[in-house]
Amino acid sequence: MILLRLISWPYIRKHLLRWMLTLAGIVLGVAVFVGMHTANQSVLYAFRQTVDRIAGATQLQISAGETGFDENVLDRVQAVPQVRVAVPVIEAVVSTALAGQGNLLILGVDMTGDRGLRDYDLESGDAAVDDPLVFLAQPDSLIVTESFARENRLAIGGKIPLSTMQGEKRFTVRGIMKSGGLTSAFGGNLAVMDVYAAQKVFGRGRKFDRIDLAVSDGASVDTVARRIKALLGPGFQVQEPSARGQQFESISRIYSLTADITSAFALFIGMFIIYNTFQIAVTQRRAEIGILRALGATRRQIRTIFLGESVVAGLAGSLLGLALGIGIARVMTGYIGALLGEVYGIAQRADEISTDPKLMLFAVVLGVITSVVAAFIPARAAARVDPVQALQKGKYQQLSAGENRTRRVSAFIVALLAVGCVLLRKYHALVYVADALAVVAALLLTPTLALLVARMLRPLLKLLSPVEGTLAADSLLQAPRRTSGAVAALMLSLALVVALGGLTRASYDSILTWLNVALNPDLFVTPSESLTARDFRFPEAMVDQLRAIPGIAEVQGVRDARIEIRGTPIMFVAADVESLVRRANVPPVAGDARTMYREAARGRAVLASENFALLRGYKLGDMIDIPTPRGLLHLPIAGIVTDYSDQEGSILMDRSVFKRYWNDDTVNIFRVYLTSGATEADVKRRILERFSAERRLFVLTNRDVRRYILRLTDQWFGITYVQIAVAVLVAVLGIVNTLTVSITDRRRELGVLQAVGGLRNQIRRTIWLEALTIGAVGLILGLAFGALQLYFSLVIVVEDIAGLRLGYEYPYQISLALLPVILAVAFISAIGPAESVVRGSLVEALEYE
Amino acid sequence: MNKTFLVSGFLFLVVGSCAAQDARQIVTEAQNRSRSKSQQYEGTLEVVGSSNKVSLKRWIYQRIGSFGASKAILRFTAPPEVKGVALLIVNHPDRASDQWMWTPAIERDRRIALQDRSTRFFATDFSFEDLEERDVNQYDYKLAGEDTVDGAACWKIESKPKESKSSQYTSSLVSVRKDNYVIVQIENYNKDKLIRRVHYSDIQQVDGIWTARSTEVYDPGRQSRTVLKLEKLQYNVPLKEDDFTLEALRRG
Repeated sequence: MILLRLISWPYIRKHLLRWMLTLAGIVLGVAVFVGMHTANQSVLYAFRQTVDRIAGATQLQISAGETGFDENVLDRVQAVPQVRVAVPVIEAVVSTALAGQGNLLILGVDMTGDRGLRDYDLESGDAAVDDPLVFLAQPDSLIVTESFARENRLAIGGKIPLSTMQGEKRFTVRGIMKSGGLTSAFGGNLAVMDVYAAQKVFGRGRKFDRIDLAVSDGASVDTVARRIKALLGPGFQVQEPSARGQQFESISRIYSLTADITSAFALFIGMFIIYNTFQIAVTQRRAEIGILRALGATRRQIRTIFLGESVVAGLAGSLLGLALGIGIARVMTGYIGALLGEVYGIAQRADEISTDPKLMLFAVVLGVITSVVAAFIPARAAARVDPVQALQKGKYQQLSAGENRTRRVSAFIVALLAVGCVLLRKYHALVYVADALAVVAALLLTPTLALLVARMLRPLLKLLSPVEGTLAADSLLQAPRRTSGAVAALMLSLALVVALGGLTRASYDSILTWLNVALNPDLFVTPSESLTARDFRFPEAMVDQLRAIPGIAEVQGVRDARIEIRGTPIMFVAADVESLVRRANVPPVAGDARTMYREAARGRAVLASENFALLRGYKLGDMIDIPTPRGLLHLPIAGIVTDYSDQEGSILMDRSVFKRYWNDDTVNIFRVYLTSGATEADVKRRILERFSAERRLFVLTNRDVRRYILRLTDQWFGITYVQIAVAVLVAVLGIVNTLTVSITDRRRELGVLQAVGGLRNQIRRTIWLEALTIGAVGLILGLAFGALQLYFSLVIVVEDIAGLRLGYEYPYQISLALLPVILAVAFISAIGPAESVVRGSLVEALEYE
Repeated sequence: MNKTFLVSGFLFLVVGSCAAQDARQIVTEAQNRSRSKSQQYEGTLEVVGSSNKVSLKRWIYQRIGSFGASKAILRFTAPPEVKGVALLIVNHPDRASDQWMWTPAIERDRRIALQDRSTRFFATDFSFEDLEERDVNQYDYKLAGEDTVDGAACWKIESKPKESKSSQYTSSLVSVRKDNYVIVQIENYNKDKLIRRVHYSDIQQVDGIWTARSTEVYDPGRQSRTVLKLEKLQYNVPLKEDDFTLEALRRG
């Protein structure tokens, strides 16, 4: 502590700006980690809270994926002796026409029995529910929460306009729940409706979404769950309410992973900035270290000083990062909530952020460890400083030939290992190892390559500006330690940008191809504005009603729903396969196009999406056990096709199979093909005229659907753009840091230049050119290393995480766009330091150190 | 809904020892005297809340069959919001009754899940358990003394559900008039706490059966009371079995 106070603090105070910039790396890394995770956790927490609060005293929930099940299941469950109370539930999120209220979570329950599970606080006063019998008798009845009623100035008898299958209807408030556990679910935007009215309002037919139950006193929940599972068969999930939160987490795992990768990368790049700063600090303080060593300080004490500084820096940076991260989370929570809702079609409402003390502690520890790890090598170098050599200026500034050779040899060995791992890529983990090794090899080679590129650029710089260019190039060549950290950070950042850019481009291309081939109907008729929302459904009778409309040649009814397979909810798409193929013959990734569609159309097989097959390890011809309310459906995978319906993959089956096994003929979306000569606008108008008075529907043109999907894709890649922004920002910090150091380091040299007649403009240009050179070196290495990172990204991120096989295509456009951006950023980051030199006191500069 | 329908749960709870045998005989006699093949009446239900807010409902009630195996249909006639709503109750001698409800606005019948039997019956002061007809052998009881209710001398009988029987009440005090074996008051307790008091009044002989035409249930916890009045009461009217089915319920 004394050494830190006496030796470190004066140095830090003297170079405060540089330390601030160093901290920025940690701040940013920790902030991104805390921000994205807190936002994600807040959304998950909100969903779990809603599930938990809605569950009330529910001990088990029975569901059949998202498909729902027949009402008679309730009788069978209620007949189980250890079941104390079992009640049906329908859940749906509907939009309200009330200003500023957005969505309302509707909980359809049977109030005659439901109060055994949920406390509606209806018994505590006469005002709670006006008349329970009227509530049941009138299908427009709603019970709302006290907070919702207060916000919207609603009293008993008040009206709420809601979207229903019959179009917009006005519902009547017939009860107000007092504040309590249930009422705070979904941010208080909760309304209770009679379950049988909800069936009608949401087009559920005679089905329930799930059954909530509590077991009798003394009965074991596990035993009852096993008994009900045995009674109902494998098509039903009998789980504790908390399992719904886990499902949500499982579905949104790709998002969580993205958040992890972004923050890890930010911290990793931040590590190089810290490394750079400490390396420079050690270089600058060699004399001081030499004196301390000469006065008797041990190597351990010297190392402790630097590691102590890194702990303090890590701690300060982490704490600032925490504060910034919470700010980021506040901004991002709503966005991520909306994104997850739209992408996964799962209702949740996150209004507040939930901070996890464990996450905060972990982030601080991570920040400190990153700082210590980054400072370890410089600290060790400081400890090894020879007191005699330390007092001789100049020698230390260059990497020795031996040091360079060792790095090159190590890089070669590591690169060989990486290639070996790539060749053995059937073991997935080895691909991750290969990527890590490739990064290590690139980092080991960075000083050598940076020197090489700088040497190559020297003639160009000289040509551009004989004096300033030469000075700038020589500054880099003579002090490789000063720049290698910044170059490495820039290289890694740009490699990330190239990889993400390539990934985004390939994904877009692939999605566009899929849209062109598979999504070719002229119109889509949906019950909801959002294509992922499945709360509303159409009756099958609408197929014929639509067909009868002039201008319509063909109508395909599609039903999609998530069904749990091996514990993971998988999207099932049930459609008339024969008609589908006739209109959109998607070429198979695997399988024989002639037979696979025929088999699927006859209900003798299913088709799997490529991402499902890759992520779940299924191959062509494998049998798949699909749990249905009628038992296990055992069908082979006759073909594998490209399908982007769901991130976790999808399974296509003929609708006849779905109708038979799920006893469900409802439809989520109608795909409509027009007759030749008919116009979209005319047919759309006719459809709306025919149905708008009797039911809620939206008619989307092919362009609308494409726009919707591409908008979702954009929103999803919005997170990628955040990654890119973070990567570039960290890289910019690296350049600014390096230049600040470089200028501080050469203040005397630059002062001498001015003293012997160097013009201010010449000094300025020297610094600008130096910055541009660092940018150019980082750019060249980053774009080259990005080509390799794109390969790994396609293998790891795409095949292993998303289950997609995308073609390798180097993103030249992005690379070209990066060129001016990075050079401009490098130039801008040089303006401040350059001005500080030319406007600084010449006397002070000459006296410097 | 008549007295029998509403209070049957409190009536036949009797088995026991020598002393209890008298009590059982009393209640058995009360049951025998009120027995009929069928029943029909128009009921008016008035619920007076703690803030003196009054709600009123009217219905037509029909029952066929006797205790333990009766079927009943109750059709609401007022207020307009509940008009047409109907309940079908099928009683069983050995288990809780089955109940269905018909809601014409959505043209749906539903089985009423009476698993939480302590829940109030549609905001009245009756609980669903109070509506059940139950086996007398599921209760122990004893003569707890004598009392005077509305000027009439009564036997006071304490009944307790047997261990095998689940009930929200741990005991009940039933007052039976000595002169005509009509139940005039029931106090239901959970441990020592009074949960509900049911008071029967306006006792008249209809078609040879002594019947209370007014029943008042008082809930001391909520400070509310419900008053049921029977009009156009008839016993042993010709009713058809077919009118007490789910199909009949749906027909309206």
